[in-house]
Amino acid sequence: MSQDNQGLDFSTVIASTVHDLKNSLSALIQSHDQWLARLPEALRGGTEQGVIEHEFRHLNGMLVQMLGLYKLGVNQLPVCPDYHELDDFIEAQLAAHQQVLEHNDILATWRIDSDNPLGFFDRELVASVIANVVTNATRYAGHALLISIEEENEQLVISVNDDGPGYPARMLERQQDYVQGIDAQSGSTGLGLYFAARIAALHERDGVRGRIEIANGGALGGGLFRLYLP
Amino acid sequence: MLQYGQKSFLIVDDFTDFRTSTRSMLRELGVRDVDTADSGEQALRMCGQKRYDYILQDFHLGDGKKNGQQVLEDLILDKLISHECVFIMVTAESSQAIVLSALEHEPDAYLTKPFNRVGLAQRLDKLTQRKTLLKPILQALDRGRPAEVLAACAELCKKDPRFAPLCLRYRADALRDLNRFDELEKFLKSILASRPQPWVYAALGSLMHKRGQNAQAQGVYEQALKAFPIMPSLYDGMASVLVAQGESKRAQHMLEEAVRLSPLAVRRQAALGKLALDNEDFESASKAFRHAVNQGQSSRYKDAESNLGLVQALMNKNAGFGLDARTRVEINTVLSEVAKDNVEDQGLQVRARLMKAASLQQAGDAETAAKLTEQALQRLDKMDQFFSVEAALTVAKQLQSLGQEGAGGTILKGCVETYGDDPKVMQSVAKLTDDPTVLGAVTEAVDLNRQGVRSYQVGQLNEALQMFRKALSLQPKNISIALNTAQALLRIGGEATSPAILQECRDCLTRVAGIPASDSRYDRYRKLHIKVFGA
Repeated sequence: MSQDNQGLDFSTVIASTVHDLKNSLSALIQSHDQWLARLPEALRGGTEQGVIEHEFRHLNGMLVQMLGLYKLGVNQLPVCPDYHELDDFIEAQLAAHQQVLEHNDILATWRIDSDNPLGFFDRELVASVIANVVTNATRYAGHALLISIEEENEQLVISVNDDGPGYPARMLERQQDYVQGIDAQSGSTGLGLYFAARIAALHERDGVRGRIEIANGGALGGGLFRLYLP
Repeated sequence: MLQYGQKSFLIVDDFTDFRTSTRSMLRELGVRDVDTADSGEQALRMCGQKRYDYILQDFHLGDGKKNGQQVLEDLILDKLISHECVFIMVTAESSQAIVLSALEHEPDAYLTKPFNRVGLAQRLDKLTQRKTLLKPILQALDRGRPAEVLAACAELCKKDPRFAPLCLRYRADALRDLNRFDELEKFLKSILASRPQPWVYAALGSLMHKRGQNAQAQGVYEQALKAFPIMPSLYDGMASVLVAQGESKRAQHMLEEAVRLSPLAVRRQAALGKLALDNEDFESASKAFRHAVNQGQSSRYKDAESNLGLVQALMNKNAGFGLDARTRVEINTVLSEVAKDNVEDQGLQVRARLMKAASLQQAGDAETAAKLTEQALQRLDKMDQFFSVEAALTVAKQLQSLGQEGAGGTILKGCVETYGDDPKVMQSVAKLTDDPTVLGAVTEAVDLNRQGVRSYQVGQLNEALQMFRKALSLQPKNISIALNTAQALLRIGGEATSPAILQECRDCLTRVAGIPASDSRYDRYRKLHIKVFGA
């Protein structure tokens, strides 16, 4: 390393700062929850609460994603697939978002259409993808959100569907560009899709890689995100 | 929601705020019995006093402290928790914890901060259900009965085949513990053919390594690293296979890679130091040993060998240039630690003193070196434990260079008496001496031992025993021969071993009672010891 004398590597600085940010945010969220629990019932709800909860989740999701992208960049993102109970997995994702869903008056449901109670994937990585999608969906959803898991050609498909206006047409048309990271200017949603696609592709079986797809419609008629895991 | 009123919980975290908020979440879930600890050490003490049903363990407990993974390892290895206990690793960022974890001891679940009450309740409920489903397996594990584990797995798979994948790991471990290696190999290969996971590769690689199929094991690890390039344990496995095949340079590269991914692993740093020392890469060796010594302070894997290795590496690094003041201070510190921590270990006391003497000699203080050598020699006379091969060779070399040729020769002679059946040992000894009384002492006994083994293998037990007895009379302190003799005696004696035979067995084992715990035959020695002495 001949560049040692030129000071710190900036991406490493960012990564370790993000790590600290994430810890701070965790402390902040947890204190906020405790403080909230001490407030009288009447003061606990309200739109501001919804905004705070949503932005907490959003910030957290972005930090997780940023660390993930850094690790992908330096080839240090571990993939450790295992068998997980599907109902447990979905319930855990919804539980983590319970407050934000409640405060935004969104009814979340889930459905599993598969004979197999177990799925094979990296729980933490897939959870970080689903968390981002759910956070995004709570912003655009009207009052309903549906997470479903089904099997399609021996692949596990995890879908997140909402009843909002759906993805903009431009985004649907250009989803391949986002997935390939071509459009660097596309803002946080684009980056989220890129991250999701990379995580999906880390799941591989017999030469088939995982992938993502966005569309409008589904049972609820709004945005529909689908993650395919071989 | 399940009932937690009768369950006991332990929260381990270094932040008061976190402990308080988690505790209040648990209270809201109806939990009455919540204890907290702010460090791993405290958690271990508490688990020694009380059986917890649930443990929420923060992964990062501060620099220089035991981390959550180390706490989990200690809890399992010291049997402070039941397999039925739900152990949740709480992390700020799970990917880091996963890389730092060891494949053989994984938590039941990771829980990423921040989490809320609903999220915590969901995890607890689900994990409780899973443990209930697996209860017969977990109870068999607590009893340490692998055959019962297999039966319980079979039962569960029959009841609901859809949950069979949850049993894979338990079945593999049980087959390993039952020494059913052919079955295990087939089983692991079938898992790899459908759903490869890091632990499966590691299990298959180590099985093949254990059975001496090192080339195949290497193939397994190569495949594994292609699929999971960020799992440090797989590099460890690859390194040990490469060492077995004499490729110590490549093995060192593997461990360097593993250390880059996961630097906080005492045993890995120590193994790297040893390899680098063998490869004469003294810079890397001293670095790795230094890490091993520092991290060892809070670890169950603290090992005086790392201290001695560090000193050796520092001396070799500076060979021909004396020793600067800073290095001398470091050497002093790590060697006094060895002497202080291992008061009862005569071998280590001798080795630490000789190492110190050698360093003083290199630093130019021949007078104090001679004084320390004298002290070491006095202790050596009274020592009844055996040096390991490596320790013996190092001590002999140091004695030679400190002008104690005679004492060095005695050490080599003892080494040949104990380990002379191994041709590799004889080669190493030959590098240090030409003395025919040392080098030629074992030939006949080794031949007899080899013939004895051959007879034993084809079932001619009495003939084998005669050979072993004769060999042992020539080399009464040879570990292999003594263990072989004892084993043959017990086999012939059968269920009703006569007192005379039992006594002969005891004599055999007593002769080699100095066997170091690091020796590969130590387990075998212990098993025989339990059979003939009852403990």
